[in-house]
Amino acid sequence: MSALLPFAAAGNGLTDWLAGLFPAGVPFWILGLLGAVIAFALIMVFVSVLAMFSTWLERKVAGHIQVRYGPMRVGGWHGWAQAIADGVKLLIKEDIVLADADRALFKIAPCLVLGAALAAFVALPFGPNAIVADLDLGVFFILAVSSVTTLGVIMAGWGSNNKWSLYGAMREAAQVASYEIPLGLSLMMPVMYYGSLSLHRAGEMQADWFGLHWYVFSDSFWLAIPSFILFFTAALAETKRSPFDLPESESELVAGFHTEYSGIRFSFFFMEEYAAMYLMSAVGTAFWFGAWNFPGLELLAGSALYAPLAVTVFVVKSMILVFVMMWVRWTVPRIRIDQVMTMGYKYLTPLCLILVFLASVWEWAKAALTGA
Amino acid sequence: MASLQQPAAPANERSYWGNVWQAVKSTAVGLGITFRYLWSKPFTVQYPDEKLPTDDRYRGIHYLEQDLCIYCQACAKACPVDCISMDAKRHGKELEWNFFRVDYQKCMFCELCVYPCPKDCIHMGREYALVAEDRSEFVLELTTWQGLTEAQKVRVAEAEAKKAAKKAAKKAAAAAKEDKEGEEK
Amino acid sequence: MDDTTMERPLREGERLVELDVRTQDVEINMGPQHPATHGVLRVLLRADGEILTGAQSHLGYLHRCAEKIGESVDWLQYLPYTDRYDYLSAMNNNLAYSLAVEKLLGIEVPERAQYIRVILAELNRICSHLVAVGTYGLDIGAFTPFFYALRERELLLDIFEKICGARLTYAFIRPGGLMNDAPAGWTDQVRAFTDLFERKWREYWDLLVDNKIFVERTANVGVISEEQAIAWGCTGPMLRGSGVDWDLRRDQPYLVYDRLDFEVVVGQGYRGTVGDCFDRNYVRMYEMLESNRIVRQCLEQMPEGEIQHPEVGLVLRPAPGEAYVGIENPRGELGHYLVSDGNKIARRLRVRGPSFSNLALAEHLLPGCMLADAAAIIGSVDIVVGETDR
Repeated sequence: MSALLPFAAAGNGLTDWLAGLFPAGVPFWILGLLGAVIAFALIMVFVSVLAMFSTWLERKVAGHIQVRYGPMRVGGWHGWAQAIADGVKLLIKEDIVLADADRALFKIAPCLVLGAALAAFVALPFGPNAIVADLDLGVFFILAVSSVTTLGVIMAGWGSNNKWSLYGAMREAAQVASYEIPLGLSLMMPVMYYGSLSLHRAGEMQADWFGLHWYVFSDSFWLAIPSFILFFTAALAETKRSPFDLPESESELVAGFHTEYSGIRFSFFFMEEYAAMYLMSAVGTAFWFGAWNFPGLELLAGSALYAPLAVTVFVVKSMILVFVMMWVRWTVPRIRIDQVMTMGYKYLTPLCLILVFLASVWEWAKAALTGA
Repeated sequence: MASLQQPAAPANERSYWGNVWQAVKSTAVGLGITFRYLWSKPFTVQYPDEKLPTDDRYRGIHYLEQDLCIYCQACAKACPVDCISMDAKRHGKELEWNFFRVDYQKCMFCELCVYPCPKDCIHMGREYALVAEDRSEFVLELTTWQGLTEAQKVRVAEAEAKKAAKKAAKKAAAAAKEDKEGEEK
Repeated sequence: MDDTTMERPLREGERLVELDVRTQDVEINMGPQHPATHGVLRVLLRADGEILTGAQSHLGYLHRCAEKIGESVDWLQYLPYTDRYDYLSAMNNNLAYSLAVEKLLGIEVPERAQYIRVILAELNRICSHLVAVGTYGLDIGAFTPFFYALRERELLLDIFEKICGARLTYAFIRPGGLMNDAPAGWTDQVRAFTDLFERKWREYWDLLVDNKIFVERTANVGVISEEQAIAWGCTGPMLRGSGVDWDLRRDQPYLVYDRLDFEVVVGQGYRGTVGDCFDRNYVRMYEMLESNRIVRQCLEQMPEGEIQHPEVGLVLRPAPGEAYVGIENPRGELGHYLVSDGNKIARRLRVRGPSFSNLALAEHLLPGCMLADAAAIIGSVDIVVGETDR
C-alpha cells in the first residue's frame, strides 16, 4: 500500500495524531510509514467486515424481496454466519490459474482491483475526526483512485484468456470511461454549495439546525434531489451494479470478467464490489445526507460517546444507501451496452450540465445577495 | 398502465423527456412492488425442518398390500420402463414371497402400474424424498416379509396335511377297493 | 457459417447498429452450458465486438429417441414419455397424444372429461407462460419477477397435485378420458386461483413488462415479419406475436373450445414494431388472462358424469389406419402423427414440436443484433430444449 504513503504523510488526521505520541525529532517518513500501515490495517479490517456483512445483507434482501428467506442455516439467527462460512470456503479453495492464462496479469488483477478500492477509503471521513487523511481534493482523489479498478478488471478479462471475460472487461472499460463524466459533474452541485472538494469539510458544514442542515434539506434542495438521483445512477454504473452490471451479466456473459477466477482471487473481486458500493454510498452520505450529523448528536459533543456514535451514524447512513443499491438490483432488468452509452452521453451528461449551470447561477446569486 | 383489457392503441411514442419520465416512473413503480414484498412473509418453507403436506393422490414411493397380492405380474407388464420385478413361489393358494422390487432409478411415477391391478394392492404413497449414497439403494423392496409367515406355514401345513389325508384316504379307498375286489375273486 | 449470415433490408422501426470500424470476427460458443440457453442448446455466435455477424444453433444434446420409444411400447405406456418432451406443458402434451389416439380409435370422450381436459390444458398454459415470462425476465436481467411467477405456478402445481398426484409430469389425460375424476373441493381451489391470478398478473406487468428498461431491451429487437413467421412454420405466440391471427383452439376447434368465449391475442406493436420480442412476450402475458377466462367459463359449464369412455381399456388395439391431430400447445402447434397396424404397439409415431420449428428462425434473427440481444431473442422464442431435441 505504498500508494497511501505520500497522502498519509501530507494529511493531518492520523499522522498528526501519531506525531503527538512520539517525541519530536522522529523522522517524518517513519511516522508516515507507520500511519500507512495502521491505516491499511484499519481499512482492510473494515472492508472485510463490511464485505461479509454486505454479502449477507444482499442475500437476505434478495431473498425477502423474492418472497423467500435467503440463508437461514449457518450460525442460527437468519444464517448470520453464512458469510463467514463462505469466506472460509473461498480461502481454502484450490488456487487455480489457467494453463493458457497470462499468469502475471491474472494474478495482479485482483490485487490491483482491491488495492484501488481500499486506497480510496483514505479520504473518506467516518466521523468528525475519524479520517485517515483529510485531503483538500478528497472527492477528486476518491474518483481518481477508484477508477483504477477498471485497469484491474481489464487485466482480469485479458489475462483469463476467455472470450466471455474479455467481453466483460471491454464493457467495463467503455462503461466506466463514459460514466466518470456524469459522476464527476453530478458531484459539482454539492461541491459548489460547500465551496470545497473535501468530504470532511462537507460534513462540518452540515452540522447546523441541530444536525439537520443537510444538503438535501438546504435552500438548494431543488438542486440536491435531482443531482443525487443522477449521482446515484452514475454510481451504480461506476460500481457495476444492476441495472449496469454488464461486465458480469450472468445471463449473457456467464460471469463476465471473473468467469475464470475462483477461491481467494474471486473473493477479492467480490470484496472490491462491496467496497466500491460502500465508497459511493459514503460519498453520497457525506455530500447529500449530512455525513455524521444527526439530530441530538451535537449534545454529546465532548463526551467519549460522541466519536463512536458519529461513526455509527455515518456507517448506518451509508449502509442505507448500500441497501438502496441492492433494492434497485433486485427490481430492474439489465440495460444493453449501447443503451448504457446512450444513457450516459445523451441523458445523464446533458442533465448534469443543465444542473451545473443552474447551480452556478444559484450559488452565485446567493453569494451576491448575502454579500458574502 | 396495466389494464386487464388488452390495450387498443400502441403506446410506443418516445420523446426525450418522455423517456426520462417513463424510466423514472416505471422504476419507482417496480421499487414500490419489491419494497412491499420485502416486508411480507416469505412464500417458501424451510424444507427439511418444515415439510409441506402432500395430497392424498400424491404419487410417491409405492407401497404394497402384500397379503392381497396374487403375483399376477399385471403391474410389471403395465410398466413402461420395466422397473417392477417380483418373484414368489406358489404353495397352493399361499405365496412364498421371494422379492417384489421397484427400481427407482427407472421409475417415472406415472401410476400406470396401479390401474391394472385386479386386487388393488399396489399404491403410490406420499413419500417423495429419494436420497441415497449408492445407486443400489434406489432399488427398494416393497415386501414386508419374505418366505412364509407363521400363519401361512400353518395354513400350508394344514393344506398339505389335508392333501396328504385326502391322498391317504384315496389310497386307502383304493386299497380297500382292491381288497374287496381280491376278496370277491 | 457464412451461409447463415442473412443479408436483409431493415424493416420499419428496426435498428441495426452501424459498424464504423470492422474488426476481426470472434467466434463464441453460447452453450451448451450457458445461463441464457434454457437447457442444453448450443449456439455458435460470430461477433464483431458486441455486434453479431452470424449464428448457428446446434441441437441434439437432449435427444432421447422419444419417437422410437413410441414405436416399441404400448399405446398407453407411451403416455408418460409425452410428458417429457415439453416438460413445462405436460398436460397439453398428454392431451395432444390422447386426442390423436382417440382419433385412431374413432371415439369421443364424455363431456365432463372434455371440460376437465380444457381446464387442465388452460391451467397448464398459464403455468407454462408463467415460466416463459419469468425466465424471459431472467434473460433480460430481472431476477425477481421470476420468483413471483414461480410462486403462482406453485399454486397451480398444487391444483395439479390434487387432481392427479404429480406436480410436473402428469400422465393424467389418457386416451379414452382421464385417469381420475376431480376430487371434492378441487373446483373451488381452481376458482380461487382464477380470482387471485388477475391481481397477481398486474404485478408482473408493472414490475417487468411495463418497466422502461425491459421495453428498451425488447421493443424493436428480433422483429419477425408476418410473411417470415408463416414461411418458417412458426406457431403459437411466436406466430401471433408477428400479427398473424391464427389459433388452433379457434380455427380448428377440438374438445369444447367452440363453446367457449375467448379472444385470440395478437401482437400489435404495443411498444415497438409488430413481431418484436416485446410483442411475443405481450402475447404470452395476455394469453394467460384469456386462459383464465376460459377456465372460469369451463367451471360454470362443466356437467356431471363419466370421465372415461366405457369401451377404452388399458390395452388399446386401434384399427389399422393413421391419424394426425395438432393442438395449441403453449408454444405452438404440437402434433402427433400416428400409424397403427392393428397391434397394441404403434407402427409409426411422429411428433411435430413447436419449439423446434420456432427455433429454426431464431438463429436468422441474430445477425445484426447485439450480443445481449442474443439472450433476449432466444428467450423470446421460449424454447424447451427437451422438445426441440425430443
